[in-house]
Amino acid sequence: MAYVELHDINKHFKKFHASKDINISIEKGKLVALLGPSGSGKTTILRMIAGLENPDSGEIVIDGKVVNNIPGSERGIGFVFQSYALFRYMTVYDNIAFGLRVKKTPESEIKKRVEELLELIGCTGLEKRFPSQLSGGQRQRVAFARALAPNPQILLLDEPFAAIDAKVRMELRSWLRQMITKLNITSIFVTHDQDEAIEVADEIIVTNQGRVEQTGTPQELYKNPATPFVAQFIGQSTEVSNFDEFKCFEKEDVNQTAFIRPEFVSIFKKGESVQFEKSAEEAIVEDIIFRGSNLEIKTRIHGNLISAIRSINEPAVEIGEEIFVFIYRMYVVTNDDVSLLTNSSIAEEAIVI
Amino acid sequence: MKKRRSVIPGFGISLGITITILSLVVLIPLCSLVVFSAKLSFSEFVYTVTRPRVLSGYFVSISTAFIASLINVVMGLILAFVLVRYDFKGKRFIDGIIELPFALPTAVAGISLTHLTTTNGWVGSLFYNLFGIKIAYTRIGITIALIFIGIPFVVRSVQPVLEKIDIQYEEAAFILGADSKTTFFKVIFPEILPAIISGFTLAFARSIGEYGSVVFIAGNTPYETEIAPLLIMSELQEYDYSAATSIALVMLAIAVVILSVNAIVQSIVSRRVNGLA
Amino acid sequence: MELRKENKVLKGVLVTISFLFLGIFLILPLIYILVTAFRYGISEYINAVTDEYAVKAAMLTLEATLFAVVINTVFGIAAAWLITKYAFKGKKLLSTFIDLPVTVSPIIAGLIYVLTFGRQSFLYPILDSYGIQIIFAVPGIVLATIFVTFPFISRELIPVLTAQGSDEEEAAALMGAGTFHIFRKVTFPHIKWALLYGVVLCTARAMGEFGAVSVLSGHLRGKTNTLPLYIELLYQGYDFTGAFAASSILVVLAVVVLILRLVIEKKGKKELDLNK
Repeated sequence: MAYVELHDINKHFKKFHASKDINISIEKGKLVALLGPSGSGKTTILRMIAGLENPDSGEIVIDGKVVNNIPGSERGIGFVFQSYALFRYMTVYDNIAFGLRVKKTPESEIKKRVEELLELIGCTGLEKRFPSQLSGGQRQRVAFARALAPNPQILLLDEPFAAIDAKVRMELRSWLRQMITKLNITSIFVTHDQDEAIEVADEIIVTNQGRVEQTGTPQELYKNPATPFVAQFIGQSTEVSNFDEFKCFEKEDVNQTAFIRPEFVSIFKKGESVQFEKSAEEAIVEDIIFRGSNLEIKTRIHGNLISAIRSINEPAVEIGEEIFVFIYRMYVVTNDDVSLLTNSSIAEEAIVI
Repeated sequence: MKKRRSVIPGFGISLGITITILSLVVLIPLCSLVVFSAKLSFSEFVYTVTRPRVLSGYFVSISTAFIASLINVVMGLILAFVLVRYDFKGKRFIDGIIELPFALPTAVAGISLTHLTTTNGWVGSLFYNLFGIKIAYTRIGITIALIFIGIPFVVRSVQPVLEKIDIQYEEAAFILGADSKTTFFKVIFPEILPAIISGFTLAFARSIGEYGSVVFIAGNTPYETEIAPLLIMSELQEYDYSAATSIALVMLAIAVVILSVNAIVQSIVSRRVNGLA
Repeated sequence: MELRKENKVLKGVLVTISFLFLGIFLILPLIYILVTAFRYGISEYINAVTDEYAVKAAMLTLEATLFAVVINTVFGIAAAWLITKYAFKGKKLLSTFIDLPVTVSPIIAGLIYVLTFGRQSFLYPILDSYGIQIIFAVPGIVLATIFVTFPFISRELIPVLTAQGSDEEEAAALMGAGTFHIFRKVTFPHIKWALLYGVVLCTARAMGEFGAVSVLSGHLRGKTNTLPLYIELLYQGYDFTGAFAASSILVVLAVVVLILRLVIEKKGKKELDLNK
């Protein structure tokens, strides 16, 4: 059952068309990411759901009701701002209590609720501190608690991890995912970081230039990108227009172009047993980048710099070394369609077996 | 469909208060100026503002204001530089006292400066006896009063900009081999030039219209030390509102030109800095 | 670490120039006022400042200042909030009109009120029938004082509110808080020092306004004479001790304003650092 729906939403900022015919449907209890490059309109969508912006046309539906003319404060949402927007002149306690006090909740109930939330976010004992006396991660947790205090039905988060150091960010990601799963609250968050979206979200909505490109689970987006944009945006892709020069790949149309991801590529040292030796390309290693847990090997094939991932446990390769490169598959874009093209030698072998 | 402007409530009330008070204090009086001006006959207007005494009034006001503002640019630049770059005893005192011309009533400043600079005043007697220069009741006196009025404008325009200039710019210039003179004129000066121009125009516009501090020291001799605002004042005292308004309109036009020139300069600079040229 | 040696000579020269310039142009006039005021001793000074007309002039100055501060505070808060929290057409024009009064010569400010409420104005018979006199009377002085200090408070608030952004207000509004609740609990703590600073500046300028008030005052001793006008009157009557004695009151107030400014600025900065 769709809980949050956007129908044919359009939004302009002066002459800038920020949202173009947006249609979105989000199920109750799901954790959804709005993913796209900056300026793609993802934050605008979030702010329209919150009532911070009004669409020029179209309907926003929450729980079956059109909410276009209902102020944000009555839509049953909690909002976590990118910069948290904690009230700098209030203590942690007063920040979390704010929404409840506005609703004239009795002070004794407020106390109970705030204490409960402080425990939930692991910040018990910090209630008398001011936001300036908290670490980045603590601020984020307090902002989260403040948004949750009035028991919203939907939680909206604008780039929730953008202002945090890399290490804390990883912790907070899994923390947030656990919290939201535990509370079973419908949540939508905005991010420009695909790793973040893939790791945290149940479902991803990819936006680009004001449009929704594709909606689906992280696996679906990975396996079946619906548009050229998604094919090149998700994963670390290299565009290859002359892919028909590669062994075992053929063009059906001259306008076709392809995207190759590192995961689609294997490299073999000369002398290593190679399963598909005849269909592998010979290439020279141009660059090796240490990625911590693995190596990214860059090789040039028919003029294209193709990346491959190699485990650090495999025999080392060196820059300038001649190696074999085998490409399993690539995304082929024909006009606006994307299809997966598999190395024809694999298909043949499969028949043989 | 009712269009809400922002999720933050209070648009109506703040707009209401703003427009109401603005109308009562500024807009309605301004309209009456426009209405009254429209009733002036053109030939009468031209006759009033081209009378030699009025022309001389404009000349005195503009020339003294211009010279005073130029002096203030030099002194203001030095003061701002000293305040931002150096540490010395009495720095906070200087920083505080610079605002004195904003805080001290102009008439009080006026009578004090006058008494100091008459031929038997503390400063005036010195200049008169040593160099034979009279200060009070001459255009020099007017200029002195306008320097007093205008100095904070330049300092307060330049100071924040100078503070924001990253010391790394200068260090970069130094490492590249520039001496401090080159660094100042090639690196710092272009950065603060817009602020200098802005401070100059603010001081200049203010000085042209200044009355309280000048009227005592000027002596108000027609064709010599009679400033334009004083001419408006005397017409008003004779209830000749048409003449007063005519003289005022020309002064307003001058102020608009000065401020527009500044606005244009600032927009050119900001466009260049932001790379939109 | 300092890369270069400071040029000691240059520093000495520039600092000396600064002290000399300010000493001659700003400090000397102040000292001169105080010296002249006490020229004939304390008792003569006390006589001068407790003169009936001097006290009345001071009261009128106080009254006009109070009106100006209250009205400009209400206006300044509303206008600054309007300009920084909402997007609307005509915002630039509005800002221009708000700043207009300080760019206009005080004499011209007086003139436009004379044109608005004087005998030749269509408003005059209407106001006259209710017995309201504006020009050459106290209301004119109050209006002139409001006019010349009009943008003083909004100008202090707008930069602070711009720097603060609107996130906190949006967050409060999303939780259902109303206008005054948001203003009092969320916005006001950010602007309190800037507001106080604006009030101090407004007070200083309002007390000292001469030109515009001079046009609109009937120059009636004890009735429509503010302190600066009273000083002019004494000065033109060659009562220099009286003029400088009355001036000394305003000098003391000006110095108080300058000290307050420094204190407020320091407090405001401290709080700003705390909340980074």
